[in-house]
Amino acid sequence: MTDLSKPFQACNLVWDADWVTAVTFLGSHRRVAAGNNLGQILLWDLPEKLGGDAPKPVARLDGHTNVISRLASTSDGKTLISASYDHTIRYWDVPAKLPAPTEPLVLNASAIEDATRRKANGAKVPPSMDAKVGLLKSVRTLTEHKEWVVGMELSRDGQSLISGDDGGQVIVWDRDAAKVRKRWQVKGWAYAVALSPDRSQACVSERRPLVFDSGRHAAVQLWDATTGEMKTNLSDMKEFKGHYMCSAAYSPDGKLLAVGRGGECDGTNGKVTLLDPATGKVVKELAPGHLSGLTDLAFHPDGKYLASSGRDTVVRIWDVQSGKVVSELGKARGGQFKDWICALNWSGDGAWLAAADMAGAVQVWSFGV
Amino acid sequence: MLPFSHLSRRTFLKGAAVTGSGLILPNWGGLAHAKSATEAAVKAKKRCILLWMNGGASQIDTFDMKSGRPTGGPFRPIKSKVAGLDVCEYLPKIADVADKLAVIRSMKTQSPDHPDGIYHMHTCYKMSERTPHPELGAVIAKFNGNPDADLPSFIRMGSTGKGGAGYLGPAYEPFGASQDGRLGSFATPYLADADEKKRADLFRFVEGEFAVDHKAEPFDSHRTAKERAWRLLRAKALFDTSKEWLKAKDRYGDTVFGRGCFMARKLVESGVPFVEVGQENYDSHADNFVVHKANMQVLDPAWSSLLADLEASGQLQDTLVIWMGEVGRTPGINNRAGRDHYIRAWTIVLAGGGIKGGQVYGSTDADGKDVKENPVTEGDLFSTIYATLGINHRAKHYYGVRPIWLTPEGSQPVKELL
Repeated sequence: MTDLSKPFQACNLVWDADWVTAVTFLGSHRRVAAGNNLGQILLWDLPEKLGGDAPKPVARLDGHTNVISRLASTSDGKTLISASYDHTIRYWDVPAKLPAPTEPLVLNASAIEDATRRKANGAKVPPSMDAKVGLLKSVRTLTEHKEWVVGMELSRDGQSLISGDDGGQVIVWDRDAAKVRKRWQVKGWAYAVALSPDRSQACVSERRPLVFDSGRHAAVQLWDATTGEMKTNLSDMKEFKGHYMCSAAYSPDGKLLAVGRGGECDGTNGKVTLLDPATGKVVKELAPGHLSGLTDLAFHPDGKYLASSGRDTVVRIWDVQSGKVVSELGKARGGQFKDWICALNWSGDGAWLAAADMAGAVQVWSFGV
Repeated sequence: MLPFSHLSRRTFLKGAAVTGSGLILPNWGGLAHAKSATEAAVKAKKRCILLWMNGGASQIDTFDMKSGRPTGGPFRPIKSKVAGLDVCEYLPKIADVADKLAVIRSMKTQSPDHPDGIYHMHTCYKMSERTPHPELGAVIAKFNGNPDADLPSFIRMGSTGKGGAGYLGPAYEPFGASQDGRLGSFATPYLADADEKKRADLFRFVEGEFAVDHKAEPFDSHRTAKERAWRLLRAKALFDTSKEWLKAKDRYGDTVFGRGCFMARKLVESGVPFVEVGQENYDSHADNFVVHKANMQVLDPAWSSLLADLEASGQLQDTLVIWMGEVGRTPGINNRAGRDHYIRAWTIVLAGGGIKGGQVYGSTDADGKDVKENPVTEGDLFSTIYATLGINHRAKHYYGVRPIWLTPEGSQPVKELL
């Protein structure tokens, strides 16, 4: 039995080409996918027992041309889905046996370049971390979005996909057919999107991040995902009014909805609000919030725990029932100039957690038994 | 030798009023050779609209894109009408009017923070100098304004400069309208017209009697301000754009900045020589890209419609439109997804007023960290602006007995832009 109160970092998968912005486990396998600011995606296979050197990536997924904003996997781990600022969503078939490694990759290229530039000032150039990866091409590209796709989530049964973009388009897709089931337009830019486990309800948060201007806009609403009708407007609740909510997640049984406050220009209150999605009423607020804003939320597969990541470079694991922090992963790096944990994801068996670290790495956490 | 011993007595007296007790009073920038310069400029009737990007817009995310470089960020360039002038994908309407733009990619300036940058980029002098230099708007109001007009000659809206008229004196102080160009409640007299007139006549009589024995400038300034306020009331209907705005808002964007740009156009077409419209939100130390994306979606329709409408009414050739803020933003992206202040290599855009459009002046290196060619200083920029508007950029004024020039010594207009 995994004890979430005893976290330890199993490995740190270095990849400093640019900020690592998205991460997901593929099904229940020990396979992790991560995306970065440049539109690149890498896959790693984690050994059953970790120790020694961190594993190196085994495949690169070429196709996107701008920031990878979200990654999701089907429960069998055979299909990876990626959303990007290049306006597309891509499907990738990921076979158990990956293509032979052909492409050389330097995992710490930025660190080497930076140290080389500062060599005259005494900087020590680190040894090259070389890897060789196989290449995968996407098998399907969804092009309905005309703006940055910033939100995307796969339904728990894998049948539907919801995505939202900066033009305010929200689309519910038939995942297998890659066809639009329903689409609607929101007033602002769609930000966080989430689909209830039974696929009947969608939570969409909106933003228009003008700091002082009268055009500033923030909203959180619950929609009927089958008709595209707005059912409950939560925007005027004190927890949400005027704030940008950057992440939303339904619990596996659909009885709770977690909504997290982002950090765009709005200070230090990266809190999580737990709601009853049937009524829209607040069940609990999880505090303390992440300093400078929350970035992502993910319910543990057993539904009893929730993980949150933030701009304070930590991941917190919360006991949903008590509202208390069970454990905190990583330490706040502190100061004005720090990095974020951009995204997080649980392995299918709930024994592992991966966090996308802006500093150029994927943190893989495990837990004591 | 005394510091001003090179001045002739006549020049000295031009530059200062001396009281009976020997106190030197400022003469609010008495011109050394004002008459010919003023007449020439007024004849040219050139006007200026300053679109002020408060906080400092990012050059790399707008007009000097570095796509594919580590400094590039997630925005993608699009082609404009002008070869070699790619602009950000979130400025598509500006791309369509790029033939009117002169993009200076090589600004290299001296004041890196907001208060000093705002002052410097409104006056072309450092804030640390003790002389109260006039803002661009005050200079243009003095040289190109009509002193008999009912409308103010220097109007600003929103977050803009704060320096005011400086040594030019209260006659050229700015008039502040609301962010979208509307007049405040102060413009509604609380007396009926006839009673207001009686009140004004009484005021003039009392002030006139008082002035017989009180000649000093501050008293005159007070009288001048009151007279300007009454004249403005005669023209206040101009500030009501409620009906016209209904037709224009789809093009300009239904935003306060869009409405401010619409009002600026109306004001310059009515003879106001200088209007400044501020757009907030650019100080993006965090979340630079979403902030700029939101800002550009406000800026793009407003600015492009302003240029298009000025051209359609035949006013663009006589109206200089400046796009600038106090600083640029760092090429490097910090780990709050932000860009900080940057003054070593940044961008300002000019259009209309006789500026040669459809060109890029100066350039930066591959990552936008340094100017590669043709650096432009604050003084050079202001010299170019004044030259475009028919104002001698080296016109000399006096602050007390001290001679001052409109632009710092060594400043030169950028000839390629004129």
